[in-house]
Parts: sequence; C-alpha cells; structure tokens
Amino acid sequence: MILLKKATIFDGKSFMENPQDVLLSGDRIEKIGNIQEKEEMQVIDLEGRILCPGFIDIHVHFRDPGYEWREDITSGSMAAAAGGYTTVVVMPNTEPPLDTPSCVEFVLWKGERTRGARVLPAACVTKGRKGLQMAELGKMADAGAVFFTDDGFPVETSGMMRKALLYSKDTGVRIMEHPEEKSLTLKGQVNEGLASSVSGLKGMPASAEYIDIARGIALARETGSQIHFTHVSTEIAMKAIKQAKEEGLPVTCDVTAHHLSLDENHVLVSKFDSVYKVNPPLRSREDVRYLWEAVKDGTVDAIITDHAPWHRDEKDLPFQEAPFGIASLECSVAVVFDTWLKLGKPVCVERILSLFTSGPASILPEKWQELGTLKEKGMADLTVLDPDTSQAVDTSRWQSRARNCPWENEILSGWPVMTFLKGVPFDRGEGSLE
Amino acid sequence: MKWRHKGLIDLDEWNREELDIFLQQADYMEELLGRPIKKVPALRGKMIVNFFYEPSTRTKVSFELAEKMLSADVVNWSASGSSVSKGETMKDTAWTLEAMGADAVVIRHGAVGAADYLSKKLTRASVFNAGDGTHRHPTQALLDLHSAWKKLGKLDGKKVAIVGDVLHSRVARSGIKAFSKMGASVTVSGPETLMPKDIQSLGASFVSDTKKAIEEADILYLLRIQGERQEEGLIPSLDEYHLRYGATPELVKEGKVLIMHPGPINRRVEIASEVADGDNSLILDQVKSGVAVRMALLYLCLGGVRA
Repeated sequence: MILLKKATIFDGKSFMENPQDVLLSGDRIEKIGNIQEKEEMQVIDLEGRILCPGFIDIHVHFRDPGYEWREDITSGSMAAAAGGYTTVVVMPNTEPPLDTPSCVEFVLWKGERTRGARVLPAACVTKGRKGLQMAELGKMADAGAVFFTDDGFPVETSGMMRKALLYSKDTGVRIMEHPEEKSLTLKGQVNEGLASSVSGLKGMPASAEYIDIARGIALARETGSQIHFTHVSTEIAMKAIKQAKEEGLPVTCDVTAHHLSLDENHVLVSKFDSVYKVNPPLRSREDVRYLWEAVKDGTVDAIITDHAPWHRDEKDLPFQEAPFGIASLECSVAVVFDTWLKLGKPVCVERILSLFTSGPASILPEKWQELGTLKEKGMADLTVLDPDTSQAVDTSRWQSRARNCPWENEILSGWPVMTFLKGVPFDRGEGSLE
Repeated sequence: MKWRHKGLIDLDEWNREELDIFLQQADYMEELLGRPIKKVPALRGKMIVNFFYEPSTRTKVSFELAEKMLSADVVNWSASGSSVSKGETMKDTAWTLEAMGADAVVIRHGAVGAADYLSKKLTRASVFNAGDGTHRHPTQALLDLHSAWKKLGKLDGKKVAIVGDVLHSRVARSGIKAFSKMGASVTVSGPETLMPKDIQSLGASFVSDTKKAIEEADILYLLRIQGERQEEGLIPSLDEYHLRYGATPELVKEGKVLIMHPGPINRRVEIASEVADGDNSLILDQVKSGVAVRMALLYLCLGGVRA
C-alpha cells in the first residue's frame, strides 16, 4: 500500500478542499482523507504538489507496427509515462495501418506488456486509410478501438464520412477527423501567411482546416453522430466549432501543446530548422492567441501532443525535404504550463488540468471515462504535478527514441514529477523516483 | 574597414554601409574585367566548390568565371534531384567536400533553407547561397543593385515595380530586400494567383493594376513566367498573361523606365522583344554585373581584407 501525504487534490474537474492523504491499494484508490500512517505503507510526501487523475493524451504516433526504428509501442509508452501520461491513444497510420480487429488486438497485446502508460488504439475509418471502403468498424470497436480515424489524412470524401458517421453511431466509438481539405494544401509546407510569403514555400491556408470542419459539422448536424476534430490550429476553424457547440451539436475538439506555444515566426527565426516543420503548420500569432481564448471559453475539450517521432537522420534535412512532426511526449505538459505562466495565467489552472484529464476522458468510449476522475475505489492512475519545478528539456534522457523536439535545452516551469500506473509508481530506471 | 562576412546566405545580414562598400568593390572588379589580361591572383590557392543541385546556366557560369578571374581552384559538383534521392545526404556530401579541403561552397538547391542548413553543418568552409528554392537569391539581388546603381547613381527615393510571379520568385524576395535597403521603394504587380498572401511582410506593396504600378516607376523589373504555372491553373494561358501583364510596347510607353529581368527571358510572355531589345533595357548589363559582383563577393569574403 502506498500513502500519498498532504496532496493538493484535483479530482478531474476541481480542487478538493484542503490538502488530503490518498491511500493506494493494488490498482485502486483505497481511501481519501486524513489517513494514519502504518508500517506496511510506503509513504510519499506530496506537500505543495498537485495530485491529479492520470493525464490522457488521445493523439500520439508510436509507429508500431512498421516503423519501429522511429518509436515502438514499448518506447512510446515508457515515454508517455515519463512525460506524466498514464493513458495514450495511438494513431493507426502504421504499416500495415490499424484497419482490422487483429491489428487492434496487437496494439493492446503489446501495450499490456510494457511498464509504461496504458496504450489504447485508434483504428482506421477506411481500409488502408484510402478513403474508399469502410473498415470493419463494429468488429474493431468490439476489439477495443477507442476512436476511428484516418489520421494523417482526412476522411477523403464527404460521402464516406457521412456513411461512417451513421454506421459507427451505435458502436460508442467516435470518429476523430484530421481536418484538412487536401486540394488546398497540396505540397504545402508552412502556414499560408507570413511564413509562406517570406519563404515562398507553399502555404497551407486556414481555409483548408475550416472547410473540412464545416463539412464535419454539417454532417454531425444531419446524422446526429458525434465527431471529434483533432489538432485544430486556426481561429476561423475554432470559431466554427464554438458555434456548433452553442447550437448543441455533438462535436468536440483538441489542440496540441505546440500550437499553443509556438507560431510561424519560429520557422523564420530558426532559419528553417526542420524541427519546426509540422502538420498542421505552426500558425500565426493571432491564431495562437485565439486557441488560448478557446481553451478559456470551453470550446477545447483536450490538449494533445500529436507526438510524431522521427529518427534523427530522417528529420535532419533541409526544411523543405524533412518530414512533418514534433516529438513532445516527455515535455508537453511542461510546455503547456510554462506557456500558461508566461502568458500570465490567462485561464484558471483547473481548466488546464481538466484538458489533460476529464476532458479527454469524456471523449473516450464509456468504459474508459472513469480515467478522468480521482475518487475512492477509482483506478489508481495518477499524475503528480509540481508547479514549482523548473528544468531544462534534455532529450538525451528521453525514453522516446525520437529527438525531434523544438524545446531542447529550454528551461520550462511546471513539470509532472511522478506517475502512478494502476497503483505502481513509474520508475524511469535511473534509480530513485525523485 | 574590415569585411566581417565570411560568406553570404541572405542579405539580411548586411547593412547599408556594407552595400555601398560592396558596390564600389564590384565597380572595381568590372573595371578589371575590361582589361586585356583579366586574371588577378587574389584567391590563388583557395579551393571553391560549386555545388549545384538544380540546373542553372547563368548563375553557375557567372560564379565559375568570377572564381577563375580571381585564380581560385574550382571544382564543379553537380547533383540532381533532392539531397536524399542519390543515397547520400546533403550533409554527408558537404562534409566530404570540406574534408577534401574546400574553402568555400557555392550552393544552388531547390529546397528552401538549403544554404542555411549547409552553413549549420559546415564548420570551416564559407557558404555562398546561389539560390535556395523559392526563398532567396542574394547574388542576383546584388547584381541587380549594381546595374541599377550604375545607371541611376543613388537609388534613394527611386521607385521599382516588380511584375510577375512573385509567389514563386526568389529573385523578387531578395530583390525587394536589396532595393529597399538602398532606399528605393518597391511595388509589385501581377495576377493575384501569383502573389504571396502577405506582401507587406516582404517590404513591398501590391498594386493590382499593372499599368498603374509602373506609371511612376524608374525601374520595371520583370520576372520569368514558367510554363508550369499554366498547368497548375494559376494563369489561364501564356498569351493572356502577355496581354494583361506583359511588358509590351503599349504598356511601356516611350519613357525613362528602365527594364530589368533576371533571365532567361521568355519573349512574348513576360516581355515583348521591342522592350527587351530596346534602349532602356538593362538586361545585358545585369549579366555583365553578375561576374563583377560575384568577384567582389568572393574577394571580400575569402580574400585578405577580412579580419
């Protein structure tokens, strides 16, 4: 049994009154309150730290099967735990793509064999992510898929999206759309605006994101199905989602840590360092400002990493030739808190914490929704956040295989310092926990 | 004054005073080129590699001539396609060249940021950007400045109109910067499908009516229109382009406006022969400036005056 003393407890929605003790037994939370220490208990003092339900990232790429040299389910799940996450959802753009029930089972099987975070699979909407034929959504939901998405690509045609929304309705699994109207982003490299103008690189306009989201909203309205928009990056698209929510439509969305903290100027100032090459691209300062607005007003349901690991040699190329993606599982929480601090705390801390906990949990299938809570008899998946820890990002210590991280060597404040996975403290294998 | 630059990636790094010194130096080089024996020993014993990933005729020949006039040892290293398609990455090729003892690398590459990337990878050798994708072409901008400056004297207060495919043009991006630094104001014009979204960020203003754009201009700078713009659906036809945006005798009424073009020109597309071959055309002056300007650049950056 583990006794966590004097923790400031965030229960997924709000802070409990006064610091309290939490007793863990097996994979469950035994008791919350004023608890007497006993000899058989391992005691950990959490004074000044925030104890939260385990953080959930509903959008990561672990490249497994198919591209294990970039990351695999084991290294990825260890990286997630080291970064303060207890549950992650892996995207299906692997080789082969996760488009059959056995692929879904493979990910769950391999995930259960790691010491790291819980790994839940998102499965393809269409076979091979080709947009032509619907994958076996029902079977894959039964096998344990928690989202359907062709991520990396949008669901190509409106017709297919409409059918998939209707067909998947009774599976309890949502469709997650990567919003991008491809004819507007062909050969695109950077944001259409300052970055494209200065560089001459093909721009990816905000309208490409907006049009796909407007399509999804119209289809959600017509079908009554739930739809989730991932890595929303522009003001115009976010405003459309806000409006749809006000209308009462079942739409949800997430934003990435990097779109909350970086903008297209980073591409220019770094003189086209490929580490800043990502899709959707880093947007304008105004877009970043509005994403925080949307965090504040409740339009945003979750913060994600979109962790996209690459081998160093694959990413170390001139900007225009490098692949898209930022790896951030092991610093994203600090990136968000540090940005939040530097912006002068534009929203209350409960709101940010909920976007890592109850927010993403509420978008998962029903059986996983309790992961967003912290309560007696609940799952002992826990994240301890220390708002006062300041340290430099050091990718040489990462569990992840990737190093394509824009914050390398940057000193950030507000780090997750401990992670409990089903009641077991995560040990990064460097000796002591702290 | 000691020249503080070791190479040239982008004219951002240069100030006005340096541009003035540079133009004087280029003038001196041009004078050298007029002598019966052109060659000088300034860079004797220096090894320069011309590293061209993209086909180029005039820039490459112009650099090579400049290098030879200064008595450098010249190696031409051509590759086609991307830096990964040949099996060796650009980084490895660069390190190989440096290990062979190259003192400078002149790079032309189709990828934006290629020269920046190369200069981050090389520890010793100087890097000269001979064009990186749609981004920059600083030596073109220098030769443009030199030709215009010779003709007009001071460029302060002068008006430059750049007409054509600004969206895809490294010549325009570097040119706007260079002319602005010398005190000129730059207006761009052309079909909006060929304009970047945020022209202000480049330091120029946009006038959609091409006639108006060149009304007050001292220099009309025309950009090359690639046939593929038609295939991409950015313009309906080359003929329509010529009628609406081309430098025709009707558009360029007899006047004082000087005509510039980076070459190679497309007659009857962006420019009519009467205009290209007319008295006000600086097109061949630009070519001449090209060699002198590159000599000045290599001399200042690699020669004895640098600290």
